[in-house]
Amino acid sequence: MTTSALAAPATGVNTDVRRRPGQAQGGENRSGWLFATPFLVLYVAFLIGPVLIGLVISLFNTTTVTSGLGSWVGLSNYAAVLSNGDFWASMWHSVLFTLLTTPLLVLLPLLFAVFASRVVHNRWFFRLAFFAPYVVPSSAVCLIFAFMYTPQTGLVTNAFGWVGLTAPNFLGTTSGAWFAVVLLTLWWTFGFNFILYTAAIQDISEEVYEAASIDGAGPWQQIRSITIPLLRPTMSLVLILQVLASLKVFDQIYILLAGGPNYSTRPVIEYIYDTGFTSYRGGYAAAATMVYFVILVAVSAGWLLVRRSRTATAANA
Amino acid sequence: MSATVATSRTPSRSSRRRGTDAGGLFNRLAVTCLTLFALIWLVPFLWALITSLRPDSEIAAHPTRPWSNNWNLDAYRAAWHSTAIGWWYVNSFIISTLAVIFTVVVCSMVAFALVNLNFRGKHAVFAVILAGLMLPTEALVLPQFMEFRALHLLGTYWGIILPAVALPVAVFVFHAFIKGIPVALIEAARLDGASWWRIYYQVCMPLCRPAISAVAILTFITSWNAFLWPLLVLTQTKSQTIPVGLSGLIGGAAIQYAQTMASSVLGILPLLAVFLVLQRQITQGVANTGIK
Amino acid sequence: MTTPLSRRRFLAAGAGLTLASTMSACGSPVVASLTGGQPATADVIYWHLFGGGDGVNMATMVDKFQKSTGISVEATLLSWGNPYYTKLALSASSGRPPDVAISHLSRLPLLAQAGLLERVDGGRFTSAGITQDKFTPAAWSKATVNGRVYAVPLDTHPFVLFYNVALARKAGLLNQAGDDLKPMKGRNDFVDAIKAMKDASGEFGAVCTITADPSTCWRLFTMLYRGVAGPIVSDQGTRVTIDRSAMEETFAFMQSLTGKLGLMPSNATSTTSSTLFSQGKVGFLFDGEWQIPTYRGVTLANGKALDFNVVPFPAILGPKPVAYADSHSLIVPRSSGRSAKRSADGVRFIKGLLNESAIWAGGGHIPAWLPVQQSKAFLHQKPQSNYIQAAFNAVYDPVAWYTGAGSDFQTAMGSVISSVMTGNTSPKSGVDAMTASLKQFSTARPPVD
Repeated sequence: MTTSALAAPATGVNTDVRRRPGQAQGGENRSGWLFATPFLVLYVAFLIGPVLIGLVISLFNTTTVTSGLGSWVGLSNYAAVLSNGDFWASMWHSVLFTLLTTPLLVLLPLLFAVFASRVVHNRWFFRLAFFAPYVVPSSAVCLIFAFMYTPQTGLVTNAFGWVGLTAPNFLGTTSGAWFAVVLLTLWWTFGFNFILYTAAIQDISEEVYEAASIDGAGPWQQIRSITIPLLRPTMSLVLILQVLASLKVFDQIYILLAGGPNYSTRPVIEYIYDTGFTSYRGGYAAAATMVYFVILVAVSAGWLLVRRSRTATAANA
Repeated sequence: MSATVATSRTPSRSSRRRGTDAGGLFNRLAVTCLTLFALIWLVPFLWALITSLRPDSEIAAHPTRPWSNNWNLDAYRAAWHSTAIGWWYVNSFIISTLAVIFTVVVCSMVAFALVNLNFRGKHAVFAVILAGLMLPTEALVLPQFMEFRALHLLGTYWGIILPAVALPVAVFVFHAFIKGIPVALIEAARLDGASWWRIYYQVCMPLCRPAISAVAILTFITSWNAFLWPLLVLTQTKSQTIPVGLSGLIGGAAIQYAQTMASSVLGILPLLAVFLVLQRQITQGVANTGIK
Repeated sequence: MTTPLSRRRFLAAGAGLTLASTMSACGSPVVASLTGGQPATADVIYWHLFGGGDGVNMATMVDKFQKSTGISVEATLLSWGNPYYTKLALSASSGRPPDVAISHLSRLPLLAQAGLLERVDGGRFTSAGITQDKFTPAAWSKATVNGRVYAVPLDTHPFVLFYNVALARKAGLLNQAGDDLKPMKGRNDFVDAIKAMKDASGEFGAVCTITADPSTCWRLFTMLYRGVAGPIVSDQGTRVTIDRSAMEETFAFMQSLTGKLGLMPSNATSTTSSTLFSQGKVGFLFDGEWQIPTYRGVTLANGKALDFNVVPFPAILGPKPVAYADSHSLIVPRSSGRSAKRSADGVRFIKGLLNESAIWAGGGHIPAWLPVQQSKAFLHQKPQSNYIQAAFNAVYDPVAWYTGAGSDFQTAMGSVISSVMTGNTSPKSGVDAMTASLKQFSTARPPVD
C-alpha cells in the first residue's frame, strides 16, 4: 500500500491567468500547449488509456498473456463477476481491512501528533521513530514481521506471553492473520498521517492558544476546543486518503499471507491478480477491475460532493 | 486547504508549555507516552538488525535473546552472494532517479503553463488534471499490463517510469507554488524579450526549489517502494527492483533467519540513510504534497 | 554555479561514471532494461522451484553441466506454486522469459494453450536425441497438448506407500525375502494390512496428512477414486463427469479408515505425520516419494535407525493399481528475440539435465529419461527403484486450464476431501460439495480457446 498522497482538490481554484484577462494570443496559445503536451500525452496514454482498454477487454474473452482480444462476449464477464462469491468475498476483505485500519490510522496519529505538539525538545526523535517505517519497502516490512510473527520463536508471539496472553497463530488462522496485517500496517503507515497532523498543528496560530491560556483553559480544554476543531479539515483529508489507500491494499496481504489462510484475507487487487495473471482470465479480471474502479471513484466523488456541499453551507451561513 | 503557497513552515516554535500545574502534568504524561511508543516503533528495526548479526544456531536456540556472544557479518556476506541484491539496487536507483527527473520536468511545465499562459482549453486541461486525482491507478494494473505489452515496454525500465510521470498531485504542488511567484518578475522578463521557455527555466524553476524537492522526494519514495507494478513488469532476476526481489525471499529460506534479516536490512538501508540525512526536508515535503 | 568544479558537478560526474561502468559491463541487465533488449546475463537463464534437498541436487546437476560444457547457466529459485507459474507467464508475455524453466506436467495445458511455450518435438530436440521412445510413456503423453509436445519430462513423482520395516515384520506383512510387502489386492487386503500394522504399533496403522494440506488429500483421493472411475472433469475441464456412486464409495472408504475402523488419525497435520512415522509409531505413511529424504538417517528413541521402505500402492478399490503422480518437466518459454545460439545452448542444457537425472533421483523421483531409468546408477538406488512401475501407471490431474500442482482447484477439492476424512461431512454430502465446487470451475469461461 503505497499511500501516495492524493491531494484534496482545491475548491474553486482560480485558473485565470493572473495578468491580462482576455483572449489568448496566438504565440501564447501555442506555447501553452507545448508546455502542457508532455504531461497530457503521458496522462492520456497511461492514466486514461488503461481505463478505456479495461472497458474494452472486459467485453471480450481476452487471454492476459497473449496478444489479441479473443472472442466478443458482451456483458457476460460482468454477469460472471457480479455473481461470483469469491469476488464479493475479496471485496469484503478490502472493506474489512479498511474498517479495521482506518479508525486506528486516523485517530492514533492525531493523538500522538497532539502529544508531540506539547514536546519542546528532541522532536526530531519522534519524527524519526514514527516516520522512518514509511520509507521501508513493503517486502522488507513483511520479511521482518513474518519473522516476528513466527509461532513459538517470534518476538511478537513471545511478547504476548510476557504480558500473560496467548498469541494467536498469526499466519495460520484468519483472525490471527488480520491481526498480523493490521498491526504491520499500523506500524508501517502511521508516520504518514502523523506528519500530516503535525504539519497542520504547526499551522495553528500561537496566539489562539495564548488567548485560551489567559482565559484559564487547561491543556485538555485547549486541545478539545482549539486543536481538534481547527484540525477538522485535516482529519477529513486524512480520513479519505486513508480510506482510499486501505481499499487499495495489496502489498502486505499478498507478501505476508498470499491472501491466506485459504483466501480468507485476499483483497480485491489480489483477486484481480489471481484471476487475471495466474489464470490468464484477462476479460473477466478486467470486468472485476472496472467494477472495483467504479466503486473507488464513487467513494472519492462522494467525498468531494460532501465537502463541496459543506463548504457551500458554510459560505451561506 | 485552498491552494495556498507551499512555503516552508517555521519548523519549531516556542514552548507550548503553559503555566498551569495541570499543563505541566499533562505535558509530562504526553512526553512519557510518546517516548514509550516511539521506542516500541523502533523495535522492528532493531530486531532485524540484531538478528542479522547473530549466528543462526544461536537464534534457533535463544530466539528472543537480544544479545549475542558471537556478533558477525556472515549473514550479510551470504545475502549479498546468494541474491542479486547489487543489481536490484542499481535497478531501483535508475528507475527512481529517472522517474524523479521526468516527473519534476513534465509536471512543472504543465503547472507553469496553467499559471502563466493563456491558452485555449486551459480550463478543460485543469479540470482533466483535477479529475486525475481521483483515478485509482493501482487498481488498473491489468489493462495497463496489456497496454504495455502491446507497446513492447514490458521488461524495461520505461514500463515502470512512464506511467509514474504524469502525476496530478505534483502538478498541484507546482501550481500552488508558481502562483506565489510575483507577477512582476515574469512581466519584467517578458519585457526583456525572454521566451516562455527561458522564463520557465531561468526565472520560475530556480524559485521553485521547495516545490521541486517536495515532488522529488515524494516521487522517489513512491517509485523506490512500488511493488505491484514492478512485480508485473520486471520479471528477470537481475532486472528486478529491491522490493520485488526481496519479496521472493518470503518463505523461501525459513531457517536462514540471519540471512533473511540481513537482506531486509540491506533493502531498508538506502532509503533510510537518505531519510536520516534529509529528515526535515522529507517530512516537510510529505506534509506539503499530502495536504495541499 | 560558475565554479569550474562545483560540488554538484563533481557528484554528477561521479554518478555518470558509475552508471557508465554498470552499463558497459558485458551483457548488463541494465542495458537490456533500458533498451528493451534480451537479457543475456548467462548463456542459459534457467528458472526452477526447488528448495531443500531437491534444490541441492539441482544445483549439483547444473554445476556438472557448466563444468563439462563451459556453457554458463544462471539458475534462479523462485517461490513454489502459483507465484512461480504467474511469474513464468508474465515473463513470457513480456518477451523476456528464461531460456529453460521447470514446469509440473499438470500445469502444462494452460501454459501450452496460451501459446507461451516452444514445441519440443522435432528440430533441435530430435537431433539431440530427445525423442518419445526414450521417455516413460505416461509422462510423454502428459507432455502432449493437442497433439504437440511442449515439455521434456524430467521425472515422475508418484504418491506412494511408506512402511516401517520393523512394524511390518512384526505384523507379518513382509515377504519371504524381507525386501517387500506380501502382495495385496483389493480393499480387504489393504485394510487388513493396516489393521495388522495398528496391532503391531499399538497406536495407528497408517497416517496421512489431512489437516491443512489439501494437495495430499487430493492425491490420496485421486489414487483411490481413479481405480473405479474416470477423471472428474473432461472436455478440457468444461464438463463435470463425476461418477456419483464411485465417489461415494471412495469417500466412504476413506472415512472408514479414519472413522469407524480407527486406523488413521483424522486430524494429522504434516508435523503429526512426520513425527509419528519418524518415531516408528505408525506402520504406513501415505505421502509423496519426495518425502524420502525427510526420513533418511532418522534415529528412533531406542537409538536404532528408522528402517523404512517405499512401495507403490496396490490395487485398492479397482482391479488395477493406480499411482497418482505428477512430473517435473523442462520447458522452453517462447521468446521471439532468442538467438539460435541461446536456443541451442538451452537444448544442450536440457539434455545435460536428463543425463544427470540419476542425481535427481536421489530426491526420490523416478527419472523419466529411460537411459537413466534403466541404468545401474538408478536401479541401485533404493527404495526409488521399487516403484518404477508407478511411473507407468501414473494418473495425473485431469486436463483443464485450472488444474495442476498448487492450483486453486487442488485446494478446493482437497478441502472437501479433508472434511470428509475428518468426519465432518458425510460421503453423500461430500459428493454434493465436490460437484458444486467443480461446477464453479467448469462453468467459468476458459481463458484460452
